[in-house]
Amino acid sequence: MAEYEILEHTADIGLRAWGPSPGELFRNAARAMMAIATEPETLSGIEERQLETRGADYSDLMVNWLSEVLYLFDTNQFAARDFRVDYIAADRLRATLIGEPREPERHAWELIIKAVTYHQLKVEQQNGRWKAEVFLDI
Amino acid sequence: MSVSHLIEQVDDYRWRIPRVKGTGMLTDVRVYASRPILEKVVTDRSLDQAANVACLPGIVGSSLAMPDIHQGYGFPIGGVAAVDCASGVVSPGGVGFDINCGVRLLGSSLCRDEVRTRLKDLVNQIFRDVPCGTGGAGYIKISQKELDDVLVDGARWMVRHGYGETNDWEYAEARGALPGADPDKVSPRAKERGRPQIGTLGSGNHFLEIQYVQRVDDEEAAKTFGLYQGQVVVLIHSGSRGLGHQVCTDFLRDMGPAMRKYGIELPDRQLACVPVTSDEGQSYLAAMRGAANFAWANRQGMTHFVRQAFRRIFSNDAHLKVIYDVCHNIAKQERYEVAGKTQDVLVHRKGATRAFPPGHPEVTPSYQQVGQPVFIPGSMGTASWVLAGRSGSVDETFGTCCHGAGRLLSRTAAKKGRDLKRVIKDLEREGILIRSGSKRGILEEVPEAYKDVDEVIEVVHNAGLAKKVARLRPMGVIKG
Repeated sequence: MAEYEILEHTADIGLRAWGPSPGELFRNAARAMMAIATEPETLSGIEERQLETRGADYSDLMVNWLSEVLYLFDTNQFAARDFRVDYIAADRLRATLIGEPREPERHAWELIIKAVTYHQLKVEQQNGRWKAEVFLDI
Repeated sequence: MSVSHLIEQVDDYRWRIPRVKGTGMLTDVRVYASRPILEKVVTDRSLDQAANVACLPGIVGSSLAMPDIHQGYGFPIGGVAAVDCASGVVSPGGVGFDINCGVRLLGSSLCRDEVRTRLKDLVNQIFRDVPCGTGGAGYIKISQKELDDVLVDGARWMVRHGYGETNDWEYAEARGALPGADPDKVSPRAKERGRPQIGTLGSGNHFLEIQYVQRVDDEEAAKTFGLYQGQVVVLIHSGSRGLGHQVCTDFLRDMGPAMRKYGIELPDRQLACVPVTSDEGQSYLAAMRGAANFAWANRQGMTHFVRQAFRRIFSNDAHLKVIYDVCHNIAKQERYEVAGKTQDVLVHRKGATRAFPPGHPEVTPSYQQVGQPVFIPGSMGTASWVLAGRSGSVDETFGTCCHGAGRLLSRTAAKKGRDLKRVIKDLEREGILIRSGSKRGILEEVPEAYKDVDEVIEVVHNAGLAKKVARLRPMGVIKG
């Protein structure tokens, strides 16, 4: 079954992700975003980075989570190719980012993502499966 | 809410969606469009978004939609809302992530034929000298303390530190720096993202074009701005880069809880807002002004590198003068007569440009007779426009007109069935050279993805918001 797909929007771009659990959902959403931002296959997974973030609910947490990953990439701190969610509740998430410190010349932006938006934001459980829709400003 | 079916025609260029009771709308929506443009506008959700904007507490006059309107996040792009400074709200989403995204036009001392023979060298040189920022930092290194100064002084700081000529900053909206910026309200994260990115273009729809004046529509205004037929000009379209994006992200995050505190409910979280007079509102405005000043500094930095590139190719004979610099994502405090009463309002321009008429005190002294220059970039490979503000803008649209052609196709739809080599060849046949940091940069921005900019201009010209001054055609395109 698909783990994520890229969505249409007139001016920008979105992602739809799925997962059997909230943890897998958050992992797949971050993978989708990184697939838009860069070419994750060019990144190695030699380093890990811990990250913790909070939110009012799962939707809010999703925006904050993706914003964190984006911030680390844009400031050349870390370019993640995969993610492991170590703990998740509706208001808090602790995760491990797998990748390497970003070297901008080698790990260029494929498309600069400006920000993660709240526009038509959805995080929901459907028939036992978790689904999210997030739009990104580019 | 869905409102497109309620639209009523006012005249050839004006339409109206009346306030719908029970929906939260506090006022009506006024749309500036010709019939063919309106038929395209109603195909997406942009008018519904304009109706959502009509729900903003303290909105004054109508929620306005410019002819280049298209669907955005919360606010439509091409949307304008003025709110009362005392009782209204400020909405970071009504400014957008790219705070002070804008356009600067440089007039050169060279004509089209002089540049044509060296165009390839020039495009390559600018592509090297003005990084798009997709892979690496810019060439301007500033300390944290210096960044704080940039946030306060904008383009002026850059000129004082060697990135410009003495009077450059005078030819910009707000003279290149809005007062009231507070660097302490800009988060360390925003500064961290923005500091290495000063003097870089960005990607998406941002670009730098070498163009020529194809046609002059208003001799007097063109002469006043220093433009003439056949002249080569440079158009820079960029914004506040990661610094502005992070400022918006930070404040949107904090506004959810703040809205609950002030009891504000809205149809879309992306419209999040707080009272202008609240601590949160004042903090956002102080940070937003800092980001806006960063954007003016950014375009000033790129101006410096473009001048250097011209000199390298054409020797010291090549001069580039800043004609003007406008922003199209901003919230500004301005004073208007509304229903016979003078009112201080905060004008949110989300993908819309200030267009002040002749005689307005904010217009640069040397342009007083003809009005403020307005630049409308078209799509890659088509045309851009120079306009001058007219009195209709102050009477009807809080001193505002459109900002671009307006996107029509999604990025995937734009790419579909298109071959990169073919697109580049088609542009070359039109005499346009392109260099881009990425393949996507070209394919996703093909001219067919946008509305016809000439049609958009026709609307604002005939509605009396701004008048046509000159039409520009591209020769060289540099994209992120």
